[in-house]
Amino acid sequence: MKNIVEVKGLEKNYKSFRAVTGVDFEVGEGEIFGFLGPNGAGKSTTINMLSTIIRPSGGKASINGFDIVADKNKVRASIGLIFQESTLDEKLTANENLMLHCKFYRVPKDKREERIKEVLEIVDLEDKRGNIVDTFSGGMKRRLEIARGLLHYPRVLFLDEPTVGLDPQTRNHIWEYILRLKEKAGITIFLTTHYMDEAEICDRVAVMDHGELIALDTPDQLKTNVGGDIIEIETEDNQTAWKILKEKYEVEVNEAGESLTFQVDKGSEFLVQFVKNFDIPIKTVNLRRPTLNDVFLALTGREIREEAASSKEKMKSNMRKGRG
Amino acid sequence: MEAVYAIWQRDVLKFFRDRARLIGSFAMPFMFLILFGSGMSGAIGSMMGGEEAAGPLRDFDFVEFMFPGIIGMTVFNTAIFSALSVVQDREFGYLREILVSPMSRTSIAIGKVLGGSTVALFQGLMMLVFVPFIGVSITLPIILELIPVMFLVAFAISSIGLLIATSLKTSQGFQMIIQVLIFPMLFLSGALFPLNGMPAWMDFLVKINPLTYSVDMFKKIILQPENLAPALREAMGLNLSVFGHVISFSEEMIVVLVLSILFVVLATVRFNRSEA
Repeated sequence: MKNIVEVKGLEKNYKSFRAVTGVDFEVGEGEIFGFLGPNGAGKSTTINMLSTIIRPSGGKASINGFDIVADKNKVRASIGLIFQESTLDEKLTANENLMLHCKFYRVPKDKREERIKEVLEIVDLEDKRGNIVDTFSGGMKRRLEIARGLLHYPRVLFLDEPTVGLDPQTRNHIWEYILRLKEKAGITIFLTTHYMDEAEICDRVAVMDHGELIALDTPDQLKTNVGGDIIEIETEDNQTAWKILKEKYEVEVNEAGESLTFQVDKGSEFLVQFVKNFDIPIKTVNLRRPTLNDVFLALTGREIREEAASSKEKMKSNMRKGRG
Repeated sequence: MEAVYAIWQRDVLKFFRDRARLIGSFAMPFMFLILFGSGMSGAIGSMMGGEEAAGPLRDFDFVEFMFPGIIGMTVFNTAIFSALSVVQDREFGYLREILVSPMSRTSIAIGKVLGGSTVALFQGLMMLVFVPFIGVSITLPIILELIPVMFLVAFAISSIGLLIATSLKTSQGFQMIIQVLIFPMLFLSGALFPLNGMPAWMDFLVKINPLTYSVDMFKKIILQPENLAPALREAMGLNLSVFGHVISFSEEMIVVLVLSILFVVLATVRFNRSEA
């Protein structure tokens, strides 16, 4: 597989704050590549550098063979961008938004009509072509943006949190469209998300934390690396339970809200004996395969959704970095 | 080239689609011209001696005097506020769609300035609907002469607007700065009253105000001072002079042209440096 995105030692510093600290990776052509990590992990900063919106402080990166600093305009012509916030002109119709995009990206005049029809069909908005965008629902706007991002046949489509702020049903729809897109157009999709289930769809996932790339593999492999099954228990006395688990069973225990989680090989066999013999009364018990959330937990000791905790930690680590 | 056209087209399209703005744009000129102008007209008439006024001064019609100024004010307002769209595009996110495209920043800046100038030109021409109510005679040659002058003035002012807009993040901030800028420039341009017998410091401000020369061009085209009696011309403040030299129409044109080029270059350079 040919690499369409190549990144070497890319970094971005804001004064003493190191937003992205020298990341390396490649993305193969036709891949769905996901960036996973909590808010403030450096995902958007990386995407913004790759899409020429901000200048890297160091390192090199190329898209479609073009350098992101030296060949800005060629990179821009090779990529489609869908941002977290809407960038549609809501006072104009869907058609006008698409037509302007064709002009911005120099889509040949005789191809415009055909392309607009094509992309509107992918996102099921053919019948809304003449409507003012103002009247669209949040999901429709998102779909229109995806359609617009495809008009100039980009080689790589960047999606920065494409489903943030949408209801679950619309989220599912957007994903159907994205997958349809991959099949139909065969383009490379590069996305960031902090939704675990969305990361599962990716061919490969890069896990980011504190501006560093801490893991990069297929979702299955990442989960296999965590090892075994995950057991989640809730007891009358979690503190004592923690101690017993550590001493008697010699497992690494993580606390997630009211419950404790730990990993074991052959979970179902272990569980029968465990429940019978455990000294502390158990309120609930749950056995499952590891998820990407467990991957993140195993890599960082934190849950990806613990936004408050993670931002506090980020501050601490920034202070550390600032001093150091 | 198509990039310039696309950016221009979007602004012009949105101008004609926004009916409220189209109708609202008549409100200010109407108030100045009909309410303020007609009221002042009577007052000024009686101050100049009313019916017993000496000779040509009897013909002084304040509304007629104000009309070129009001056209100037309209062109000026529309042109400078057209740059508000850049700030709004930043607020609503559309600026990113523009800035991450492979278009050059220069094309975008030129497209924006041309868009603002075109809209201001239309807005200025729309003011001609007041002509039947105020008794100035406007012929087709006058209109044909007005169009390029209006466009040139609008181009200079739109560039100033873009220069300001590029440095600002919020539309409130932009509106604040424009309001602070717009009123002194208007009052010191001769658009609303004849520039006669002013204190020296004020005279200085008038002479460095680019709007003064713009408004004076409109006056020269519409009022045709060469056909007026010298005393009336003097009363209307139509003998604009710098260091005792009565400035001609073509000299004014050069002043505005030079300013246009200066500001469009500054705005483009500034816009080229802005981040998405």
